[in-house]
Amino acid sequence: MEFFDTPEQEALRDALRSFTRKHATPERVRAAMASQTGIDEAAWKSLSNDLGLLGLAVPESVGGAGAGFAEVTVAVEELGRVLLPSPYASSALVVLLLAESVAPLAEELLPGLADGSLVGAPAWHADLSVGADGSLTGTAGNVVDGAAADVFLIAMGRDLLAVRASAVTVTPQPTLDQTRPQASLRLDAAPAVRVGESARALALHRVLTAAECLAGAEHCLDVTVGYLKTREQFGRPIGSFQALKHRCADLAVEVAAARSAVRAAVWTAALPEHAHPEQARPEVSLAALAPLAALVASRTFTRVTGEMIQLHGGIGFTWEHEAHLYFKRAKSSQLLLGSDTALRAEIGRVAGLLR
Amino acid sequence: MSVPDAEAFRAEVRDWLATNLTGEFATLVGRGGPGREHEFVEERIAWERRLGEGGWIGLGWSEEDGGRGLPWSHQVIFYEEYARAGAPGRAGHVGEQLLGPTLIMFGSSEQKQRYLPGILSGAEMWCQGYSEPGAGSDLAAVKTRAELRDGQWHVDGQKVWTSLAQFADWCFVLARTDAAAERHHGLSYLLVPMRQPGVDVRPIVQLTGTSEFNEVFFDDVRAAAQDIVGAPGDGWQVAMGTLAVERGVSTFGQQMGFRQEFEAVLAAAHANGAIDDPQLAARLVEAWIGLQVMHWTALATLGARLGAGPGNAPGTEANVAKLMWASWHRDLGELAVDVGGPEATLTGPDYDLTDAQRLFLFTRSDTIYGGSNEIQRNVIAERLLGLPREAR
Repeated sequence: MEFFDTPEQEALRDALRSFTRKHATPERVRAAMASQTGIDEAAWKSLSNDLGLLGLAVPESVGGAGAGFAEVTVAVEELGRVLLPSPYASSALVVLLLAESVAPLAEELLPGLADGSLVGAPAWHADLSVGADGSLTGTAGNVVDGAAADVFLIAMGRDLLAVRASAVTVTPQPTLDQTRPQASLRLDAAPAVRVGESARALALHRVLTAAECLAGAEHCLDVTVGYLKTREQFGRPIGSFQALKHRCADLAVEVAAARSAVRAAVWTAALPEHAHPEQARPEVSLAALAPLAALVASRTFTRVTGEMIQLHGGIGFTWEHEAHLYFKRAKSSQLLLGSDTALRAEIGRVAGLLR
Repeated sequence: MSVPDAEAFRAEVRDWLATNLTGEFATLVGRGGPGREHEFVEERIAWERRLGEGGWIGLGWSEEDGGRGLPWSHQVIFYEEYARAGAPGRAGHVGEQLLGPTLIMFGSSEQKQRYLPGILSGAEMWCQGYSEPGAGSDLAAVKTRAELRDGQWHVDGQKVWTSLAQFADWCFVLARTDAAAERHHGLSYLLVPMRQPGVDVRPIVQLTGTSEFNEVFFDDVRAAAQDIVGAPGDGWQVAMGTLAVERGVSTFGQQMGFRQEFEAVLAAAHANGAIDDPQLAARLVEAWIGLQVMHWTALATLGARLGAGPGNAPGTEANVAKLMWASWHRDLGELAVDVGGPEATLTGPDYDLTDAQRLFLFTRSDTIYGGSNEIQRNVIAERLLGLPREAR
């Protein structure tokens, strides 16, 4: 099992960190938050064109980099770590799924998605019915990056369907987490094409979101610990007080647990679907690991960001400080992934623990 | 010796256990684990000798040191299969897991020649003389004294929480040899024979009603002049080396045991209907999640030390892992009796505890021994996160 970056992944991570240092400055993030689209267009263009980040998972034969799920995870982590306002995570997931698809539509859309001229977004919270001609009618809410999307992926039963945005009425929604826009959709007999399996899509979505949560939690713990080392009260750094140290230690253990869960899920998700029998096979299936990673990582992210505010004291409660951005991202991710109760029940069922 | 194929090795371990965990040893299945260290000790010592004959002790030690030089992946396989077979808790683990690696790291070649074979054959049992009534988390406060007179060390003092002391042939003792030195200085690491006048072992009755641990009193007890590991005054460094190796590859056997305990609790919940209580069901799923997380954390920790021998001690990831498993295990203990319900309030005659009750009670020690949760948090905060030391 690979728990650590390969040299290629490490190089990618380094490149992304220099990219985000340049683009994801607090000023740029704030400006994008206040903008109409909620996206940093310059950063989006640069990561699509200069870095070719969206083509990571696209086969080389179609003009992509031919990398895999683990590399996309690295990108999602590094962009999520700084809350870079872009539809990368949504669109990269769509690219991953369409790259696995044999549908002609996938082939048609991939080049545009891979160079960033098209944007894709999954719509998980949908209330739709299928017409006799296979078209979809109804609504979908909480579609992350919905306003930017040219194509939507929608789960209907076991099928994953693709719908072009041109056939959908898209309404942007104001969001609690202003670094990640959402929209609602209205479909009226919108043509839909089957491009894959909904279970695979949901699993990959959860793992990517879990990875993003992990990176956010790591960042917030780092920032908090750094603050405790420098902030002085009672004549000494407050990080020397055991009450605060122990809380940080507990957070560090939680983050380590989340890291283990995410790494295992990424490793399993990145295995070829029909792995060669001699290849290492996971003891626990992706069907259990994906909700597990989502549950553990989003819970950890939420807890770390709450503690981040508390341990920073008054400054952590200000609009100016970055803590609230992560706090809101964490809770939004957790709520969008589904309740702890539902995820636990699913894990229990898949792992055969519950009747 | 070449490294055998992993699956062939697994089969070899399985076959050997199936063949040998029979006859006089059949009664040992499931005995002597955590909370049951007091059970069948004599028989388990005989079992250690059988393991030694089979070449199953010191798997990771180099061949030069008498071991088999197997990589950690094979050691994991051994521990997994050992636990899967329900083979008994290791009476020899103090020698194999603690003293042996310490001697390999710090011992002289004479000491290795003298003591490693006895560990590898299961012929000599060891116990650990670290903690004292006044030196628990603050180990550097040990008061046991040793003085070199007439070519011998004379040891006086009291140790506590010493597992299997009444069965041990030897004790490695952290003692103050320089009365003028303070704290971590002036301590020495001595190898003291247990079977001699002046050694008094008194079992401690724990809240389980059983006695795994002992108090050990030393009254002018002797050790040979050469039976000091490291130089006089270097005892602290040597002792810390032992503590670091304490949390090595045996983690996987421990986790296999955890998995079996979890399965038993889950089965009980299905049998008595507790699984239909949503809160208990949620806690069971969380316990299973914890098992997975600990497994991958252990893999990551060991992966980071790939190829590392017993001399390559783990860093703070060991403290993270300890805090994780100790808390998880304690929670499982509470879950076990909660699943049992009112039934779990009744014991057998003579305070004979059920497995669930034993788990519930004994796991209270997990968060205390081998560095309490609080000490682990201090270490994680200071060494992993780099937070400043507390003003003292």
